[in-house]
Amino acid sequence: MDKKIETGERKTVNWVKIKRLLKGELGLILILVALLAVFSFLSPYFFTSKNLLNITRQVSITLIVAIGMTFVILTGEIDLSVGSAAALVGVTTAVVLKASGQLELAMIAGLLMGAGIGIVNGLLTVYGRVQSFIVTLAMLGVARGAALVWTGGKPISKLPADFGTMGAGYLGVVPVSSIIAAGIFVLAFFVLNRTKHGVYMKSIGANREAARLSAIPVKRYRVLAFVISGVMSGLGGILITSRLLSAQPTAGEGLELNVIAAVILGGASLSGGIGTVLGTLLGTMVIGVIDNGMNLVGVSSFFQQIVKGVIILVAVLAKRSD
Amino acid sequence: MIRVAGTVLKLEDINKSFGGIHALKNVQFELSEGEVHALLGENGAGKSTLIKILTGVHRMDSGKILIHGKNVVIEDPVDARQKGIGAIYQELSLIDSLTVAENIFLGHEPVGNFFGNLKKKELTGRALEYLNTFGIEIAPETPVSDLGLGQKRIVEIVKALSINANILLLDEPTTGMSKAEIDTLFSIMDDLKSKKVTMIYISHYLDEVFRVCDRATVLRDGENAGVFKIGEVDLKTLVRAMLGRTLKEEFPGRSGFPGRETVLEASEFRSEGMAAPVSFKLHRGEILGITGIIGSGKSELALGLFGVDRKVAGEIAVKEERAAITSPNDAKRRGISFVPEDRKVQGLFLRLPVEHNITIANLALSMKRGIISYRKRFEIARETAEKLKVTPLDVKMPVQNLSGGNQQKVVIGKWLCGATDIFILDEPTRGIDIGAKTEIYSLINSLADNGAGILIMSSEFREMSGVCDRVLIMRKGSVVSELAGEELTTEKILTVALGG
Repeated sequence: MDKKIETGERKTVNWVKIKRLLKGELGLILILVALLAVFSFLSPYFFTSKNLLNITRQVSITLIVAIGMTFVILTGEIDLSVGSAAALVGVTTAVVLKASGQLELAMIAGLLMGAGIGIVNGLLTVYGRVQSFIVTLAMLGVARGAALVWTGGKPISKLPADFGTMGAGYLGVVPVSSIIAAGIFVLAFFVLNRTKHGVYMKSIGANREAARLSAIPVKRYRVLAFVISGVMSGLGGILITSRLLSAQPTAGEGLELNVIAAVILGGASLSGGIGTVLGTLLGTMVIGVIDNGMNLVGVSSFFQQIVKGVIILVAVLAKRSD
Repeated sequence: MIRVAGTVLKLEDINKSFGGIHALKNVQFELSEGEVHALLGENGAGKSTLIKILTGVHRMDSGKILIHGKNVVIEDPVDARQKGIGAIYQELSLIDSLTVAENIFLGHEPVGNFFGNLKKKELTGRALEYLNTFGIEIAPETPVSDLGLGQKRIVEIVKALSINANILLLDEPTTGMSKAEIDTLFSIMDDLKSKKVTMIYISHYLDEVFRVCDRATVLRDGENAGVFKIGEVDLKTLVRAMLGRTLKEEFPGRSGFPGRETVLEASEFRSEGMAAPVSFKLHRGEILGITGIIGSGKSELALGLFGVDRKVAGEIAVKEERAAITSPNDAKRRGISFVPEDRKVQGLFLRLPVEHNITIANLALSMKRGIISYRKRFEIARETAEKLKVTPLDVKMPVQNLSGGNQQKVVIGKWLCGATDIFILDEPTRGIDIGAKTEIYSLINSLADNGAGILIMSSEFREMSGVCDRVLIMRKGSVVSELAGEELTTEKILTVALGG
């Protein structure tokens, strides 16, 4: 009887493998294809390479921040401060850029600000033992307030034109921000699947106690997840600022909800341990395509919100049932 | 032999498949009124599936369920309860922040007809009535969080009875209970019997089955393997029916013996969780048992040694070298492994694949130049799982799909693939079947034969005397006695542990 199982195994393993893969991401891919088909039908302009590249540019910032959020959600936490962090980092970058005229220095300062916000979120959550929902809700207010106070509520404009390449430039026909987002995606995919850091963070979300007893330095990695989210929000903030050549203290308002929606749509579980960056990519794309398509078709922006909400709900429900 | 008169429940030709696995094949099961009927079988024999069909969690593929001779369909757990089937599972379903009375009547509270307001007095009164009927001395106003595990389980039983259950299903009810609590439970069960409550009793402890059950239905590989009258059957016959073979030796022998080198030494060691300091020496190749009843401080000692709880006094030496162990990582670096007592809560990442669980503690082994190699990880996991005879041997499968015994093998496997020669095993065979137990004993033996030092914390005294070279007995946090050689018998451990 054992022999029988042995010979039959090769086939089963492959089939099981495919099924596992599909179960995770197939639903989303189908939804994405369906959306592309529907909008192509409704608008002749939709399925052109120009518009599709445009979509990748539009989603790039959400995707980068959502990837950071994926790490936090994987460890079983949440980060509500990403939108505010993006604004504060944008302001920081703009201020340093104006003062020094040095692009690299300005960006480093901005990313450090993002990392700093992440560290504070992480330390308060992990060592202060306050729920991350509360810590980052407070940070959402503090960081936004800081950006407003710092700028007096007015945008910092007239930034040097070469700063605009990242957010608004093109390499050939491809938007630079899309390339940056793709790079971040590959990097995050690698970190999450191929390094101990990613595997540890996933383990912590799946079962914190078991992770601790498996000799994983749990606290350090929980903080790290927030730092990653902070840095990614920062990068998002720099790209927004670069695109507009102006740091808006009100930038990224409501970004956190879009980002969380994308991650959850991508199949991550808010209780931690489950989620992939590929899922997050697909989730972000679905939302991006809906936004773009409805704009082209001319759906009123009020109505768009309803449609988006319903699609997210339906997608998550459909995923649960299989 | 099987009486048809007074049959309260009858299952006929039950079939159930999961995917390609035929979990139940034409299973028959019959309950007579007022009996305690044991449902026995190894993990994976189909007990849980049968129970889940009976309680409406799963739907059977084919077969008949007759309650009092009437053909019924059990739609879902709520429906099962309405049909008089109450279940008490290992995992408690009580709400800690509510009182005993509130828990008993949760979901069917006596309410006033105006605002649906809770009638507190009536609630307490009726709860007291129930508790008194069974001679249980727990005040209905006590918050459940103040109760011990045994009392909680008794409250669960009362809760099931309060919804007029006449078939009560007890799944491993004595897990984690003290001896006195078990005695109380059994006397309550006797009382229920006289009140014509019929019970299905599931337990890995066959001595309990002999104490309280009238009949036993044995399942093996999803099929019936016999129905026995407890008064007319002996342990060997039951075990043979469960395993389909004769149990040669429950405790396999060792080829090696303890060496002289001390691998782990505690001197007046005490951690935050421990009530009193403890000293012992563990030698290379030795299996040292630490035993005592629940609450004797064994688990706390284990957590302290592994660096989970902070040290407050004394010293630990690893391989005759003073060691400051302040985290599990420190312990791991010194070659110490730890298998915690609760595999689901402390040991496993249930939703993640077996390979993740096996390789996580020694992830460096799965890496090539700092990068995880899927292939290497798969090979390590596969090799370890094969060595431990994990079935099914599919390391990509979520570990939650494995039976308890196989899950436990995975927890041990987590450490086995690394460089470790000191094992701390806390209740390594809790809640797993005899076959898997024997396999784990063999594994422990071979680890010791290969020069590892093994510390086993267990409250199964028979296991301690069967497996260990030497046993320390703890009571209220202190080591009170040491037994070895001729003196090391189950009876002797029992006497000392209970305070002789």
